[in-house]
Amino acid sequence: MLKPKMPVRLNAVEETLIAQLTSVGDAANAERISVIGLPTRRVEAYHYTDLKMLLKAVPPLASAANSASAPALRVAGAHQLMIANGVLQHSATAPAGVIVGVADGSALSGREDVLVRLNTALAKQSLTLNLEGSVDPVLQIDRRSEGDAAHSASSAKIFVADDASVTILETYSGSDAAHLSNHGSYIAVGKNATLTHITVDLSASGATHFATNEYQIGEGAKVRTLAIHAGASLARTQIFAKFVGEGAHGDFTGLNLVDNGQHLDFTLDVNHAVANTTSQEMFKQIARGRSKAVFQGRIVVSRDAQKTDAKMMMQGLMLSDEAEILSKPELEIYADDVVCGHGSTCGELDADSLFYLMSRGIPKAEAETMLVRGFLEAVLDPIEDAALNEALTAVVDGWLLGAR
Amino acid sequence: MTTPILEIRNLHARIDDREILKGVNLTIPAGEVHAVMGRNGSGKSTLSYVLAGKEDYEVTEGEVLLDGVDLLSMEPYERAAAGLFLAFQYPIEIPGVATMTFLKAAMNGQRKARGEAEMTTPDFMRAVKEAGSALNIDTDMLKRPLNVGFSGGEKKRAEVLQMALLQPKMCILDETDSGLDIDALQVVSKGVNALRSAGRSMLVITHYQRLLNHIVPDVVHVFSDGRIVESGDKSLALQLEAKGYADFDSEPA
Repeated sequence: MLKPKMPVRLNAVEETLIAQLTSVGDAANAERISVIGLPTRRVEAYHYTDLKMLLKAVPPLASAANSASAPALRVAGAHQLMIANGVLQHSATAPAGVIVGVADGSALSGREDVLVRLNTALAKQSLTLNLEGSVDPVLQIDRRSEGDAAHSASSAKIFVADDASVTILETYSGSDAAHLSNHGSYIAVGKNATLTHITVDLSASGATHFATNEYQIGEGAKVRTLAIHAGASLARTQIFAKFVGEGAHGDFTGLNLVDNGQHLDFTLDVNHAVANTTSQEMFKQIARGRSKAVFQGRIVVSRDAQKTDAKMMMQGLMLSDEAEILSKPELEIYADDVVCGHGSTCGELDADSLFYLMSRGIPKAEAETMLVRGFLEAVLDPIEDAALNEALTAVVDGWLLGAR
Repeated sequence: MTTPILEIRNLHARIDDREILKGVNLTIPAGEVHAVMGRNGSGKSTLSYVLAGKEDYEVTEGEVLLDGVDLLSMEPYERAAAGLFLAFQYPIEIPGVATMTFLKAAMNGQRKARGEAEMTTPDFMRAVKEAGSALNIDTDMLKRPLNVGFSGGEKKRAEVLQMALLQPKMCILDETDSGLDIDALQVVSKGVNALRSAGRSMLVITHYQRLLNHIVPDVVHVFSDGRIVESGDKSLALQLEAKGYADFDSEPA
């Protein structure tokens, strides 16, 4: 039982969450919030994203969706699966190597984290995907928050079989309302499998978006993840990856496109739990207007994880004086024979580069766009599927063109 | 009398609170190549940056006409479209921007500004290939990010390639010989000389006479303390090489 020294003064948002948790019969989590409240900046993991302060309202719990907004992102040739307000919608015949199902409850584990707890409490079902062999089309999980502003939770549980090779794109979007959406994905990657997992938040401008992606990475597997924030007013994507088999490699990348009035947070935790695994983390943040971009990245190397090689990098680009880019890289190393490093850089567009491009006849706005694209190339370029790469580039270009 | 390509009248410019250009007067008629020589710190490079429109410098007095049109009121990209080209002493490395993408954006940017149709991709590729082969530039180099990892020679050849593609009226070459060995200097000079024409003028900035053996100027100017203190034919360059700049420092203002 938790016994804080001082009772927490609950705000309206916390009261609403407690009532919602009670209404779905989750007394334990309701009590937990009533005792400790939402995390504030005094909680290390939420230091830059003080939920108690930032979460201004919680809309009513979602009911089944009965309307659909326009698709946020279409990728030519992709196989689409839609989850609306947490419920899997009727889907077309699955392509070869793909078995689609539904399981009760959330796919996330009982991690000590309020967003994970809310997801496990509120997600009634999980989309399940069992993937075998070389899955040809890109699989798109199109998660929607539809209708009036609502609090919803969705979940997906994905098994990538040994030796399989798949590319999964998850998009988050919906009706133009102040939704609070909490999404979870659990992906187990089998031996020598290859996974590319991309998540793109395109939520409505007044929405709050939370996502938690968990990865278990097996022996010899190759994983590339790319998380993009390009929507919502408040967003946090949490990435928890664990290497459980030797010889595996992970590239964990992210792109935080942060505009006026937004607070967007990437929180990354990569655990090298076994020997001989490698990872590279590359997160890019661009902020303009009065906004806040957050990256917290932690690499944990367990005691037996000798020969781990891990490098983490955050690069920030400020496009206005009022933008804030925050970065907290951490290494937590318990093994003695490892190569680990991290770095953070932050700056504005280089004036000399801009002048050089302009001196050749390229107008200022176009020159700026070229430099920003150049800055982003390192995370978009490795996405090999041409149609997918094109769609992601369009998301970035759309952001560059559309100041809020 | 025909309009000169470049006409600089009593140009004064400063950076922060330091005056660097102190009354430059220079007229370059169409088709002529003029050299500006002077020791380091005399303000030669500042002159090239002010003409190209670098923000850091403030023009406090004077005017510049490019083919009779006021240059100083234009943005840098408008100056380029109007026909001004600056070959940088230190071309900027821009990671993430492929050289080819850059060349296309520059060519089409200028065409658009002049109200001309954009170039088609096949036409563009043909033009690049043609101009590149004269400068020993292969297409592999052009796929690389702009100037990133280019050798000194490659950077300068890429500058001349841009000049050849953009076909400016007025070329300013800022210390184009710096960082070049003798072979590279010959390739670059050959590229520059091939662009000499009746309608195009050049301003070659250097502090060594060496470059002027390859790009032979019509007029040589000596630059000292922010202005031109002496002008003459190409023999002035040889005189400078023999005697140094000291003789010109005591010239009355």
